[in-house]
Amino acid sequence: MSKAQRLKSKAQSPKFLSMVVLGVLLLLTDSSRCATSDSLFAAGSEAYIAGDYHRAARAFRESVQLHPGSGSLQNLGNAEWQLGNTGRAVLAWEQSLWVNPFNQAAYTNLRFARKTAQLESPELAWYEVVSSWLPANWWAWVAGLSFWFAVAIVLLPGIFRWRRLAWHQAVAAFGLAIFLLSVPANVGIASRSRLGFILQKNTPLRLTPTANAQLITRLPSGEPARLERVHGRFVLVRTNRTAGWIERDFFGLTSSVGLNTPNWSPSKSESLVKR
Amino acid sequence: MSLMLSQPRIDVESPVVPTAVFDPPVVRPGALAIYRLTFNALEESIDLPIEMPAPTGAKLRPGGHGQMLAMAGPTLQPRTSYNFHLRPSQPGEITMPEFVATVYGKPVTVPAARLQVMTDLPATNFAAHCLVLEVPQTNVFVGQSLPVTILFPGLVGIAMQGQAPVQLIGQGLLTDPSSLHPRFEPRPGPVPGRNVQAFLYEGIVTPISSGKLSFFAQSFVAARPTGPIAVTAPGPVPGGPAYTLLDSDPVDFEVRPIPIEGRLPGFTGAVGDFSIGTPELATNVTRVGDPVKLTVKVRGDGNLLRIVQPLAPRPRHWQVLSAGGDNLPPQIIQAQGFTTFNYTLIPLTEKARFTPAIPFSCFDPERQAYRDLTIPSIPVTIKPGVVPGDLAALMQANALSRETEKEPVLAGLAAAPGLAPGTLVPLQRQVWFALMQLAPAFGFLGLWRWDRRRRFLQQHPEIILRRRARRALRRERRALNRAAVEQDAQAFATAAVNALRIACAPHLPAVPRALVGTDVLGFLTEAERAGRKGHIIKRLFAVTDAARFDSNPGGTANLLSLKTELDALLDRFAERLV
Repeated sequence: MSKAQRLKSKAQSPKFLSMVVLGVLLLLTDSSRCATSDSLFAAGSEAYIAGDYHRAARAFRESVQLHPGSGSLQNLGNAEWQLGNTGRAVLAWEQSLWVNPFNQAAYTNLRFARKTAQLESPELAWYEVVSSWLPANWWAWVAGLSFWFAVAIVLLPGIFRWRRLAWHQAVAAFGLAIFLLSVPANVGIASRSRLGFILQKNTPLRLTPTANAQLITRLPSGEPARLERVHGRFVLVRTNRTAGWIERDFFGLTSSVGLNTPNWSPSKSESLVKR
Repeated sequence: MSLMLSQPRIDVESPVVPTAVFDPPVVRPGALAIYRLTFNALEESIDLPIEMPAPTGAKLRPGGHGQMLAMAGPTLQPRTSYNFHLRPSQPGEITMPEFVATVYGKPVTVPAARLQVMTDLPATNFAAHCLVLEVPQTNVFVGQSLPVTILFPGLVGIAMQGQAPVQLIGQGLLTDPSSLHPRFEPRPGPVPGRNVQAFLYEGIVTPISSGKLSFFAQSFVAARPTGPIAVTAPGPVPGGPAYTLLDSDPVDFEVRPIPIEGRLPGFTGAVGDFSIGTPELATNVTRVGDPVKLTVKVRGDGNLLRIVQPLAPRPRHWQVLSAGGDNLPPQIIQAQGFTTFNYTLIPLTEKARFTPAIPFSCFDPERQAYRDLTIPSIPVTIKPGVVPGDLAALMQANALSRETEKEPVLAGLAAAPGLAPGTLVPLQRQVWFALMQLAPAFGFLGLWRWDRRRRFLQQHPEIILRRRARRALRRERRALNRAAVEQDAQAFATAAVNALRIACAPHLPAVPRALVGTDVLGFLTEAERAGRKGHIIKRLFAVTDAARFDSNPGGTANLLSLKTELDALLDRFAERLV
């Protein structure tokens, strides 16, 4: 049997066909998700320009849940800011920078919001500052590719009996150096992924994770905090000055788009604040 | 020290005599009566019961309280007053019972007081003496100045003693004592159509926290106002004139926070209807490094005493220093109706053609919007001059920080969704990415194993020959079986000979097609060569040779019947290839 015949028979097998169908379906699903996200983005922009900030925020939020684009997050922040939701606006802009640190508009908006609302910026360690130079996922690729590139340059000449040249070692050293330099940034990404922001004005910070616990202080909307632990519907957070438990719904992580938005409604949050 | 020693002594040793009276002693139902409690003791030393005894038939509401030091001979007599308000609803007699207070750590009995509530009282009966607090509006913004008027009952003497003549008491308020000023004003009197001269104080209150706030006014009067205040205590209060603490009913008002949206640059907390005059520059022609004074007058209905000069900007060609506001007494600033911002401008280069604009804004509570009051630029001529070293350094610093000093503004919408990962969760925390890192590891491991195997096979080529021979033998045996099924004796013979050659070639070593029957027979024992097996091999080779070289080949009869024996022979040769 010739090679062509073998390929033909393989192509006609049900397993192969089902895999092809599955792949096409996945591609179609992804492209339809992109199309829906784009249409939501356009609808949000139109609503924002028309001054309907509630509709704009809803559209951008849904667009972000489908496809967390840097521009969508920036626009979501603008809409939330116009609605007076300082914490949600700050979170959206921080997420926009998390996705794309080169988004100058999101950076300017954050400066504007923090200056206007008298909010603090998160206190970042040096490795976290380094990690903010590139998009969060890029560091993982940089580390992975540079490491395996260096390993390949060391191993492949021996395996394939290429003549060992001086530049092989130089390139391998370069790849290893890139890998070592990216390690702190990856550590920074890991620690920054636990950074979040208070979403609700005057969020009560409690001593223990119970609704009737002693109140330590009240945190302003947009205050940065680090997630330490989760216990039921409470999270233990550490701000620049203190630590305590707050309701999970009042806290939004930079590295998670779905922690709060699906179940969040202003009435629910406000009732929790009053309680 | 001598000044301190020359001060009169405060009398804290005289027996404490409390007085308790109702003012007025007789009221109509629903009218205001004030229960006045006075001690000749320091306020800090007095502990009233936490629960004041309730009078029968009315409810007391705490009012003002304060302390006064009155001259009594060579000593200062402390005088502490507490006011409680009540409005009896039914005619009759209300008695405030006797109770015990603690003064200087000792129990002091406060006498009982009685109030007559009568329906038919003459028109000349005096009302309770109290202040009237007038507030023009009760819905304001944080920081908004609120003018208040405190109306005194009749012409009384104000007792001022190291503090404001009138105190405005309340939480979340800022009162400027210097803003208080007295005035006479004709007000409607008790006789309809006839005005009387009323004594009043005007001042400014500034709320500094949002929410519902409440405040009231109080003041000591040294002269008794018109009409008697009956003292029902066992004796007169010793030591000088009868000071009376007057207070007002509390005024509630709503304070809203200033909106964040729309805040303009240069906002320093100015709330009110302000305007700026034309900025005045000391000279329009100056040299590099020579300071020039810039003054701007700010007018408005807000609290000019509390207005904060905007921060000096850091333009490229200028050094701007805030020279502070007016060094005038607050009363004069309030009276003149404007305050002045002073700046010292130092040109750093002769390139400057205009003075820098200084951002300033205020919040207008009437329009509920911010108003831009930026101090405009003024054209100037700068002549060359010597720049001192520190100014040169400042120029450099200004040039560097020019970009960063830009006032941030809310950026517009993004035109496209932009760079988008699948999720915000970083790859470092996703399992698939960690597992994906194993793929190159497995790849390199496979390559290494492959390399090792290859090196081994290079040193043992017979393994490859045998492997190839086994593969070729399987192929030829399939052809052999096919020929047997098709009853093709010639093809059967050819496949059989090929298979025998392939099976024996690796052991010689030689190319399979180079082998002849004798070579194959060499792998059999002497007995086998002479026996059946030798016969089969010879016959097969004979048939194939005849097919190749004889024009009329034959001898294929019953050849296919040898298959079983041939398979056994090939199995035996195949075993040697393993």
